[in-house]
Amino acid sequence: MVDRLERLTDLVLVLLRDDRPKPLREIAAEVPGYPAEGEARRQAFERDKRTLRDGGVEVSAVPIEGREQVGYLIRPEDFYLPDLDLAPDEQAALNLAVAGVHLGDPSGRDALWRLGLPATAGVQPFADLAALPALPVLYDAVRRRATVTFDYRGDTRHVAPALLRFRGGWWYLVGFDLDKEASRTFRVDRMDGAATVGSPGSAVMPDDFDPGASLPEEPWRMGEEEVVRVDVLVDRGLAPLVVAEVGDSTVHDRRHDGAVVVRLEVTNIAALRSWVLELGEHAEVLAPDSVRADMIAWLEATAGRSSSPVAG
Amino acid sequence: MPARADAGYRLHRLLAVLTWLARQGRAPVAELAERFGIGPDELIADLELAACCGLPPYTPDQLMEIMVDEEEVVANLGPELARPRRLTAAEGFALATAARAIEAVPGADPDGSLARGLDKLEAVLGDRDRLRIDLGEPPHLAELRRAVEAHEQIELGYYSVSSDEESVRVVDPLSVVALDGRWYLDGYCHRAGDRRRFRVDRVLSVRPTGAAAPGPPPGALAGEVADHRAGEVGEAAFVPGPDAVVARVAVDDTGLWLTDAAPTLGVEPLPDGRTVVRLAVASTVWFDRLLLRLGPHGEVLDPPELADSGRRAAQRLLARYRPPAAGGS
Repeated sequence: MVDRLERLTDLVLVLLRDDRPKPLREIAAEVPGYPAEGEARRQAFERDKRTLRDGGVEVSAVPIEGREQVGYLIRPEDFYLPDLDLAPDEQAALNLAVAGVHLGDPSGRDALWRLGLPATAGVQPFADLAALPALPVLYDAVRRRATVTFDYRGDTRHVAPALLRFRGGWWYLVGFDLDKEASRTFRVDRMDGAATVGSPGSAVMPDDFDPGASLPEEPWRMGEEEVVRVDVLVDRGLAPLVVAEVGDSTVHDRRHDGAVVVRLEVTNIAALRSWVLELGEHAEVLAPDSVRADMIAWLEATAGRSSSPVAG
Repeated sequence: MPARADAGYRLHRLLAVLTWLARQGRAPVAELAERFGIGPDELIADLELAACCGLPPYTPDQLMEIMVDEEEVVANLGPELARPRRLTAAEGFALATAARAIEAVPGADPDGSLARGLDKLEAVLGDRDRLRIDLGEPPHLAELRRAVEAHEQIELGYYSVSSDEESVRVVDPLSVVALDGRWYLDGYCHRAGDRRRFRVDRVLSVRPTGAAAPGPPPGALAGEVADHRAGEVGEAAFVPGPDAVVARVAVDDTGLWLTDAAPTLGVEPLPDGRTVVRLAVASTVWFDRLLLRLGPHGEVLDPPELADSGRRAAQRLLARYRPPAAGGS
């Protein structure tokens, strides 16, 4: 009885050796361990092909002349990468990166194995980025400039993807929405189901499209409302943290008691309200009156459980 | 890793070992076993099996040339097996993400080795610059990273949301890690007399005390930080401690963001169309602010002692907005 690992290893070597596709009959004659013939042999071979594919080794089926009509091979370009020509310090740096950044699955280690740079153990973790199953598919689509189609908040979206971005704990896909003909940013964890990927090169976007510009830095800029300048008073205690977060340039007034007033450009009032309320009793909207009144109405609705409608 | 690995994983691992051997020529069994996370006996068995593999007619000259004894493996495998192999989509993504994440931290790639390696990798993988990782850069991050590396004890000014207090404490810093988009400092806090985790964006000041901080016990840190989600005490407020109370909050569709903003223990629908979110509440200050943000879109169902939290917090905050004479109307 031949060990299945031995059969798989021989199969890889045989299918890689020459560029002529071989029919299963020939493969079974060359690779020890397959059942004599018939359906059992076919099933065993199909199972091996699946195992190889799951492990990232693609066996191609090609039409051939003759009784069996289909031949198999592993194309060198499907198996090998062009040589990366990495210097030892570059190899070491990639090793450390994979050891230090955790993605919740062993893909990084597997990548190093395939490159022939097995990881060093005992490295102190450095960052942990929640990986989502959709990410490799989207990354592949971005790299191949292929369109993606997915369900998002009840709509089907068709997007030319430009960039994957991790920020503030979330993954975003930035792209050109082909139906809305405008730049859009999508939270990857909010996509429903798997994305469908188009053919390579199918994603076309305007020449002047700049994906880097399309993800605003602050939540209160993530909206399409008219820009409103809002003044927020922050007490002494939290002032340094808030100024570090929103930047020195937003400081409109520094009071003698240590409090600051920051002036923010807001296109999403609900997001601004949420941000101010997270500062609890240490912050207050001063102006304009309309935004201050909105905040008071919100607090009254919360305090009184009144049924007066407040925009969400 | 499963105790009895399946055939696909064994093949993947064996090819990786062979690639390494094709490049190195020889390697001690113990070193190979450690590198590939495999027991020495299993490694030897796999390599002995590989020595029987090759091409038809499987005469000795067509088999892989691998000699194994208990101490060492010697192999003569030819250049084909030494070549780097194609990465799956998940592997390419993982490698690029890891490299980009490190690159995003100022000072983390001082001599540019990583940037050069990543450049070569992305040239082969396809399009460049399609992945951006932003881990944030709170003001005191660089100082804290330096203190960890230099084993310097520090005096830390810190704002704690859970107690709504500023404090100054002496800390022996152990590590600085980015978890899901936020930076944390792990260290031994002399005020608490225990390990604590601090959010770097809430650090108000850092001052070296001049004393040396004892480093982590050798080899201990990797494991400790690896199970950071399992309940290390700290400020993250994401880990329900023994004192945490479980609250049930009903939210409408507008309030569903709650499941993103807080660590939820469970979610279930209500007949009226709303959703019940179960949360561990370790700090009432934190919970009050969450309820303020939910406003009329959330309602505390349980426990009774927290049912009024949002209402009272809103009343307190309203006092700031309304002149006292008009208050309480």
